[in-house]
Amino acid sequence: MNASTKNKVLSVIVIIFLLLVTFVVLYPIVFVISAAFAPGNTATGLSIVPFGAGFTFEHFTYLFSETNFMLWFENTLIIAICTCILSVVICSLAAYVFSRFRFALKKSMLMSLLILQIFPSFVGMIAIYVIINRMGAYNQLWGLVLVYVAGNVPYNTWLVKSYLDTIPKSLDEAARIDGANHLTIFWRVVMPIAKPIIIFLGITTFTGPWMDWIFPKLVLGDDEKQTLAIGLFSFVTDRKDQFTTFAAGALLVAIPFVFFFVITQKAQTEGLGAAAVKE
Amino acid sequence: MGASLATDGSDKKKVKKAALLFMGLGHIIHLKQWVKGAFFAVIEVIFLCFLPYIFTKLGDLINIGKDQSSIPVQERQLSHFMMIDGIVVIAFIIIFAIIYYLSVKSAMDDYREYCIAGKFADNRDATKGILGKAFPIIGLAPALILVVFFVIVPLIFSITAGFTNWSNPDHIPPGNSINWVGLENYIDMLGGESDWASAFLRVAGWTIIWGLCATFTCYFGGLIVAVIFNETKLKIAPVFRAIFILPYAVPNILSMMVWKNLLNGSSGTVNRTLQALGIIDSAIPWLSDVTMARITCILINLWAGFPYFMMLIAGQMTAISADIFEAASIDGANKFQVFKNITLPMVLYQTVPLIIMSFTHNVNNFGAVFFLTGGAPNVASTTTTGAGGTDIVVSWIYKLTMDQMNYKNASVLAMFVFVVLAPFAIINFMNTKSFKEGEL
Repeated sequence: MNASTKNKVLSVIVIIFLLLVTFVVLYPIVFVISAAFAPGNTATGLSIVPFGAGFTFEHFTYLFSETNFMLWFENTLIIAICTCILSVVICSLAAYVFSRFRFALKKSMLMSLLILQIFPSFVGMIAIYVIINRMGAYNQLWGLVLVYVAGNVPYNTWLVKSYLDTIPKSLDEAARIDGANHLTIFWRVVMPIAKPIIIFLGITTFTGPWMDWIFPKLVLGDDEKQTLAIGLFSFVTDRKDQFTTFAAGALLVAIPFVFFFVITQKAQTEGLGAAAVKE
Repeated sequence: MGASLATDGSDKKKVKKAALLFMGLGHIIHLKQWVKGAFFAVIEVIFLCFLPYIFTKLGDLINIGKDQSSIPVQERQLSHFMMIDGIVVIAFIIIFAIIYYLSVKSAMDDYREYCIAGKFADNRDATKGILGKAFPIIGLAPALILVVFFVIVPLIFSITAGFTNWSNPDHIPPGNSINWVGLENYIDMLGGESDWASAFLRVAGWTIIWGLCATFTCYFGGLIVAVIFNETKLKIAPVFRAIFILPYAVPNILSMMVWKNLLNGSSGTVNRTLQALGIIDSAIPWLSDVTMARITCILINLWAGFPYFMMLIAGQMTAISADIFEAASIDGANKFQVFKNITLPMVLYQTVPLIIMSFTHNVNNFGAVFFLTGGAPNVASTTTTGAGGTDIVVSWIYKLTMDQMNYKNASVLAMFVFVVLAPFAIINFMNTKSFKEGEL
């Protein structure tokens, strides 16, 4: 066998492998899309060939007319926006202080933040539940926002701090000589340079709340106060099998999500790289 | 008295004594810093006013299980509220102690400045200080307050709950009170009660296997795909790449729930398709046989997780300088040798911290297990312990808290997660640039 036939065989094998992976990757996605438009309710009744059993919009109309889907969407959007803004402001301020100032207990604070970030925040969920109740924040969206922001602080403060450490301090000093105070330096000098990591922080904290399931379950009680994840999950519990409705809702969430991901992909991969290398 | 303050540093003791005696006193009587001094003094006054309350709460924390059987159920103090109040009060005491320490330190610093400048600092400086000296405190305060009350206090609370008997059905407030039991739960979990001990061993072992398998399958899955894209220079590679990123872009919880339905034993589409095609005769127990369900978990996690590493490794590969490849080809290395001796080691080296991070992430990857299998299938001790065949520690913790109300054992498990994962956090910390360069 000469080199060129060998190469040809190799590239055919590679293409076959890639096509197989493509099939596995797309299989559930195509299945959900077809389920969202398929008549009937349950997953059991679905045709094994996508779009093999007809085409209907009834699940979408059902979502908007019979369920609180729009409310869930609104709640989740409010929570995500608030969490995103508060996390960015609080984490970047704290990161700036950690990166630029020397003060008592700094080292122990940084170390504890690092250890705290390995815990999934729901380990303390019963205490969070009790605290939320004591604060009167049960069933309130802002209670959930507080929980999310607090959970974001340890890891993200570290992330931004590591990034800020790479920005030369001479820049701040030049601004200080010009008479700028700390807040101005933070806002006008450091933040613009730190933009890549701030955007990354914004994206991750914005997308986080959309698909969290544990805390909304814990903090929010009423159906009108629910988030999308809980709402969608309620269609496919042990007692209820409305898989097609779930698929329709999932599609409505996933499409903007994928779209958002495509727009922000560059920032995301850069941020991932920064998180990895600059720590 | 203040006017006679020596500038040669000899009055250090005097200032310190005043500062230690009452918060802010040093600032007021010696340093003439009324604003700062008054601020500190007000904090101490408030603290002193709350002292009786604090002592009651601390007393309650010690006696959470006090006998309340003579009081009607509605009026009883709830043991877990007593615990959380006690812990919050302790947090306040520690914060107060830190402020006290900082006030003394601030007085000493200001005295040193006074010695250098030879005159008292202007009071207006202190009010202007929000953007000046006080900036670090203001900047950190929101982050620290949130972390203390929503991360640290809950963690301490769940750790302390491990030393109580707080569990269904006999020790749930308000009907019953909770009591401190020392190390009893730990002893039970590590061998005292055979059901729990065996469930613990099974779940802990599976969690570690799961963490390792999930990390390495995703890593090498991503590596293989990235290498194929990088080495073969296929023209249609961007199309494949765009498709392969989809599982990462779609929210995890949604894809897990879809897979759960696809893989359902008798009615799932996968089995029905395979049967219709005549590939299998009877349904494959994807999620209903323990070993099979575990393999399924790892495979589905590979589906969801390989794009992340594919993107990262592809990024690392393009970052390798072209000079090295050129040098290698001049030395006569073939493609495979270049890959084996240059690309692979460099990528591996760059991504080691990510592998560690990914391992800790997977150990905590609640969603990948819970939404796919829900911990099922049940095994022998599932009814008593709640731990199913595919449950990892965190999903078990979740079930114990939400379904079984067995808070004591959930807390013991949380401690276990801490003990296993803390070293990884510390390793990553020691690898950070700022730690290595001694800035900390």
